[in-house]
Amino acid sequence: MSSLKKRETGRSDTAFWEERRGKIFASRGGWVVGEAVYNSGYSMMDELVGRASFFQVLVLNVTGRLPERRLGDWLDAVFICMSWPDARIWCNQIGSLAGTMQASPVAGVSAGVLASDSPMYGVTPLVAASRFIVEALRQKKQGLSVEAIVEGQKRRPGAKPVIVGYARPIATGDGRIPAMVRVADALDFAVGEHLALAFEIEKVLLTQYQETMNIAGYITAFLCDQGFTTTEIYRLFSVLVNAGIHATYVEAADRPPESFFPLQCEDIDYQGVSPRVVPEKG
Amino acid sequence: MKGDIPQEQKRDIRFADRTATRIWQEEAAPGNPYLATSCRCHGYDLMELLRKRSFVEVLFLLFNGELPTTEQGQLLESLLIAFINPGPRHPATRAAMNAGVGSTFPQHILPIALSVAGGSYLGGEEVEQAMRFLRKNQHGEPGPLAAELLRSAARPAEGDWHIAPGFGSRFGSIDPFPQLIAAEYARLPASGRALAWGAAFADALHSEGLGWVATGVVAAALCDLGFHPRAGAGLFQIMCAPGLLAHGLELANKPVTAMPFLDEEHYVIPEEARNRKI
Repeated sequence: MSSLKKRETGRSDTAFWEERRGKIFASRGGWVVGEAVYNSGYSMMDELVGRASFFQVLVLNVTGRLPERRLGDWLDAVFICMSWPDARIWCNQIGSLAGTMQASPVAGVSAGVLASDSPMYGVTPLVAASRFIVEALRQKKQGLSVEAIVEGQKRRPGAKPVIVGYARPIATGDGRIPAMVRVADALDFAVGEHLALAFEIEKVLLTQYQETMNIAGYITAFLCDQGFTTTEIYRLFSVLVNAGIHATYVEAADRPPESFFPLQCEDIDYQGVSPRVVPEKG
Repeated sequence: MKGDIPQEQKRDIRFADRTATRIWQEEAAPGNPYLATSCRCHGYDLMELLRKRSFVEVLFLLFNGELPTTEQGQLLESLLIAFINPGPRHPATRAAMNAGVGSTFPQHILPIALSVAGGSYLGGEEVEQAMRFLRKNQHGEPGPLAAELLRSAARPAEGDWHIAPGFGSRFGSIDPFPQLIAAEYARLPASGRALAWGAAFADALHSEGLGWVATGVVAAALCDLGFHPRAGAGLFQIMCAPGLLAHGLELANKPVTAMPFLDEEHYVIPEEARNRKI
């Protein structure tokens, strides 16, 4: 209502900012020197270190909720699934390029992680995939068949449905899902309503279009069953690809500089205008 | 449910044999194909460009494929000056300062600050969104659109309101600086439909305490210069980069005490963050 107050008083209402000026209101916690490091109601050194896993604390930092140990173990496994040392993968290659230019490991890994903020791969598909499965479950509960839900994802009649969380850019199938199903079974996680629907959708896609679920579809359906929101999933997986980038960075950094995947001038296909003279300024 | 899933198979996709570019041509040195003896930018020899043209003109050429007119060069240069420094209170600058005072290696100061300057609030992402908003609406009437948005969009209960990308309030008021810059640009010959439409849209919002924000002015000027919205975020980052780096470097040789580190009275930890049982 600042404009209204301004009209009445001739001054802007800056009370909202005045309350915050010169202060930090830390809802999660912080370090009280000589007392404790507090985090969402826990004393980190007394209650978390050595008792909770790294991934449990990561979830705590993202959501304010400390999950049970087995969910931390599930995340540990899924982070291994999602990042491997293949220097052809776009974010990993950025790590290699940083390594070959002798950039610092922090710069190389950070640059590669930033590259994975992409709708094509990495972390961002998890956002669209979780939105889809949440909406699909809502539609199913309203009485839509799984076939109709899939049909609704066609961008035009007769086209193949495009669903984030299903199909992959380079390959068909996804060997990471059976691995994660094995992990979930070992940790005694039941299949919840989102994941059950995700598998039903896969069945339809496989029968009609020979496409399968991908790991993003699996992760998001699983985590929606665990009560995570789309925003929490995005934040939780921010550095999802870091492990593979570490590997490709190290591989290139340990070799002579600029020896990673070098290009001759003719290895770039110039398709622009022919040489021309710079005109004199008018 | 899981039994009949086929094995992974590589798709039959054809990738390019070579990366293509229309921007830059390098001619190989006779004795070493990894080295270039000449570089051309959209056909112009770089050596000739550096003798005959300004940085701003070559910057325009890189993104648009042609050299700017004198008027376009004037507007772009003015844009690069106007937004050269978000100022020491801007979160992106403060990120640079934190890096500097924290003795972060100097080569990291700019990437750190530019990541903050890429945000969807007063950052690069908002510039891109504002360019798309302007391109979509600049052929219509700004007044009715402003009225419709004021009627239908919900003002946040707290903080500022960007009623559309590039337009809103800052710290509860119309930020005077972007209005001044936009008014200045309205007088330049390269100013076009986007800047004019944006000015009328800002006027229509004025009574509600809303107007141009910095990202909106940048977006309108970039639209009038013919840049694609996709380039908006990065160009905004280029504009801000000198100021961000300068402020970061200014603190890079200072002791860590050169910036505030709040005491317990000013770093407020609620009781529920100390003890979850409460």
